Amino acid sequence: MANETNATTEAAGHAAASGGLPQFDFQWWPGQIVWVLIVFVVLLAYMRLFAVPKLGGTIAARDAKIADDVAQARQLKAEADAQADAAAAERAQARSAAQKMAGDARAKARAEIDKALAVEEARLADVAAVSDAAIAKARDKAMGNVAGIAQDTAQAIIAKLTGKAATAAELATAKG
Amino acid sequence: MAEQPAIDPMHQFLIHKMVEIPPVNIGGFLLDLSITNSIFTLLVGAALVMVFLALTARGEIVPNRAQAAAEALYGIIDNVLVTPIIGAGGRPYIPFIFTLFMLILTLNLMSVVLAVGNIGGQHWTFTVTAQLAVTATLAVITFFSVFILGFIKHGPKFLSLFWVPGMGIVGGILMVFIEMISYFVRPVTLAMRLFGNMLGGHVVMSLFGSFVVGLGIFALAGGIATLGWIGSGLSLAMIVALTGLELVVAVLQAFVFAALTTVYLNEVVNFGHGH
Repeated sequence: MANETNATTEAAGHAAASGGLPQFDFQWWPGQIVWVLIVFVVLLAYMRLFAVPKLGGTIAARDAKIADDVAQARQLKAEADAQADAAAAERAQARSAAQKMAGDARAKARAEIDKALAVEEARLADVAAVSDAAIAKARDKAMGNVAGIAQDTAQAIIAKLTGKAATAAELATAKG
Repeated sequence: MAEQPAIDPMHQFLIHKMVEIPPVNIGGFLLDLSITNSIFTLLVGAALVMVFLALTARGEIVPNRAQAAAEALYGIIDNVLVTPIIGAGGRPYIPFIFTLFMLILTLNLMSVVLAVGNIGGQHWTFTVTAQLAVTATLAVITFFSVFILGFIKHGPKFLSLFWVPGMGIVGGILMVFIEMISYFVRPVTLAMRLFGNMLGGHVVMSLFGSFVVGLGIFALAGGIATLGWIGSGLSLAMIVALTGLELVVAVLQAFVFAALTTVYLNEVVNFGHGH
């Protein structure tokens, strides 16, 4: 501790060193303390005014830029999705329109066919009815002729067998 | 064997004057601000920090390697210490913690890999952070900055720091003493931890270094002494291993100093929240 002011010689330093840790040679303390304070204050000012704002600012700016870019990418993706949705909707609409048109055309064609068919069927039915009537008339006529022929035949048979002609009433009764 | 002792691991901590500056007279006390090897290495270290950051803090959005390295160092303080421990309120104190961290880290690493002290007539790197005067100054700067900040922010209420609630009157008063001791011992532990770590590592390295030379010279005598080469070689291998260990210690101690500073600051910034 006897190193207040004038014991700044090398000899004193070596003497202290041989006696223990050189770090406890207190003649070097004031100078080191003051220099550490000076260096610390200068370095602190340098950090506060330059280094930390620069480093921290850059990191913050980078984070902001990344967040910005990601947000922008998200927005673009949303836009692309919306466009894809719109395209899909448009396609679906076009498809339904086409289906409707096809359905309409089919229904119209069917209706026309049905109409033509109905007309033709009606015509055919008319023809068939006329034919049926003619056939029935011809058959009735033919059947009437058959009755007459049978009566005539029966009268002829009776006349031949009995030698006497049967009356019309008798014939009608016999026919049952 | 020789006139001067072959093994003198403390020699590396000796301080020599390099540039004589006339002492300043402050009220009868002569303050000697001469540049010694210790102060020279301190100044070189501080200059290295400033030049490194001036060159690497380029502010580019896409960083190159050097800028990424500087931002990683900054990230240790911001993302590992300040933000998780203190929170957003710790942002104003980043320059303070970053200054401590960078200065101690640089001085620690220089003591392992940069032989700046050689210029001052040393035969080994000079370890500024193994000077108790330096570590004590840094610890006292930290302690009083935090203590004064506590009073600035919270006024006399800050003294309730020493009061442990739920202990009763007598127990509480007893605890005040214990709390005060544990509080005011902080700068001592802060200074001694860094000092001791740097001192011990370098003493051991210096010892093994002396063994390499000493046993080597011994082996030159021939005969059975030739076996000294084995010891010399082993000591050299130890130095290689210890250098790796010292690099880890250098980074770790700088980190520990910064981490404890952050923890102490946290008590002040978030005063009354965590107690």
